[in-house]
Amino acid sequence: MSDALIVRGVHKTYNGRSVPTPALRGVDLEIEAGTFTCIVGPSGHGKSTLLHLLGGLDRPSAGAVHAFGEDLSKMSDARLARFRAERVGFVFQFFNLLKGLDVTENVSMPMMLAGRSPREQRDRAADLLASVGLSEKAHARPSELSGGQMQRVAIARALANDPEALMLDEPTGNLDSVSEAEVLAILDELHSAGRTIVMVTHSPEIAARAERVVEVRDGLIA
Amino acid sequence: MNDYRLVLRNLFGSRSRFALTLTGITVGITALVVMMSLGGGLRAQIERQATDLGANLIVTPKGWCAYEQVKVLSGNQLPDAIPPDEVAAIEAIDGVTVLPYLTVGSAIDNEPVPVTGVRVAETVAAKRWSVAEGEIPAAGEHGVLAGAAIAESFALAPGDSLTLRGTPFTVRGVMASTGTGDDGVLFIPLDVAQEVYETSGRVSFLAVSVADLSAVDLYAQRITDAANVAVISDRQLLASVLSVVDSVGTTLTVIAAVAVLTAAFGIINTMLMATLERRREIGILKSLGSTNARVFRVFMLEAAAYGVIGGVVGLVVGTAASHIITPLIAANEFTAFVGGARVSALPPLSDMLAILIGAVAVSTASGLYPAWRAARLAPVEAISYE
Repeated sequence: MSDALIVRGVHKTYNGRSVPTPALRGVDLEIEAGTFTCIVGPSGHGKSTLLHLLGGLDRPSAGAVHAFGEDLSKMSDARLARFRAERVGFVFQFFNLLKGLDVTENVSMPMMLAGRSPREQRDRAADLLASVGLSEKAHARPSELSGGQMQRVAIARALANDPEALMLDEPTGNLDSVSEAEVLAILDELHSAGRTIVMVTHSPEIAARAERVVEVRDGLIA
Repeated sequence: MNDYRLVLRNLFGSRSRFALTLTGITVGITALVVMMSLGGGLRAQIERQATDLGANLIVTPKGWCAYEQVKVLSGNQLPDAIPPDEVAAIEAIDGVTVLPYLTVGSAIDNEPVPVTGVRVAETVAAKRWSVAEGEIPAAGEHGVLAGAAIAESFALAPGDSLTLRGTPFTVRGVMASTGTGDDGVLFIPLDVAQEVYETSGRVSFLAVSVADLSAVDLYAQRITDAANVAVISDRQLLASVLSVVDSVGTTLTVIAAVAVLTAAFGIINTMLMATLERRREIGILKSLGSTNARVFRVFMLEAAAYGVIGGVVGLVVGTAASHIITPLIAANEFTAFVGGARVSALPPLSDMLAILIGAVAVSTASGLYPAWRAARLAPVEAISYE
């Protein structure tokens, strides 16, 4: 299988107000297309930073990130935004739904950003909500949903433009065990359908479900 | 979804803030429309009044300034200043017709009313007034010819009695409306006015018509040679008075413009608060693939929406308000020197359009900095913001 995501000699330093803080200090990593990879490690050691770089949400301070044959580190901001819209989908621990919009509108947002027609947006949003079992909540506000439901909406949204890879940052960190099981079942399904999945997690049980576990410690792959 | 729905959702997401910011710009635009229509109303009134003067030259005492010249056009009380021998000397000049005015005042039911002594029959003829009810009071008679507006406000009809400066008078006639300040004046025979108000034959000013219009300057020269007075042409008078009125109008407009500017800072404040409050939302949009340009556009559209909505509402409210408020403001001491300015003149449509475009321009400009700030937020930073 080909490598979907390739990280070469990546450093990432956050320039705080006073002291620059290194988050990644020379990471090399290849992730094959269609695999389920978990990134584990202690808090604050660079897991999320690595995930953000893989999904083009941030740029490395040094080194290169290639995703599906494209060099993310050389893309313009606008190209990178387009990459995020079309080729990856992000899911976060705190769901990050847009509060002012209803469930359908939240799921439609990436399609709107990718320039799809309103009709296309509506139809696909309905399909996606059905696939995560939330058809009856199509016009609910995020505030009317449980944590598990919000996370399922977030997954539906991440899938809106049928991206090659899903990037999940502690997606079950804020959920009860029932909701966690529901979310993990959806991810298993997506994985078996051939989608590349990269997930940051603290939980060894969840990591055990992955084909590959990558440990990040002190800004390096351990 | 599209950008416009997103903008609407953002605007209405925080209703109280939306309402307050909108109120700011609406009040500013409303003030601008009211002030401009008030200024326009004053100007229109003055112009009507001047064309209705029925004279080519105005003879005044020396040293009058624009403030007193305004009163010539408004029928408000002026000092009795021109003595009878000078009036006679001017009247003796060949080719001039003189209408003397003695502007005094009295009160009906404790409300001040302007009273003007004129040679009633001559003045009615010269100004082409028509008498709606009753007849013209004769010279020497304690009779009143009431302007249409003042007759209406005090319910005066021929045969009614009233007291001016402690002297009983009878209303003899009511004029048809002239659309000028004359509508708000009680006219009495000049000789009676001079007697009741004890002016020893003095008058306030003279309106002079000349036989040969091409020789107006020559007549003016003759008048100043004959008497110790100042002469001003009706055009000079109009220009002089309009310069005062226009400066008042400009001042009013500047005050209103400050209100609009204040509203602009309200928009900047609201939008900056929004970029802070919506940091996370901006981050989410960017993580979903929104470009910087798109975030910028959404914020700019929000700012422009304030201008469009506030501008339209302000124009509507301002138009309504100027119909309601302008007469009240015109009754105020500051602006009441134009007695008849009870009617507002709305700014012309082109000005309205300019106001609307201005409102959108101001609000859009106000959105520039907040939108730029929002657009350059780094997605990761924005998302990790709690």
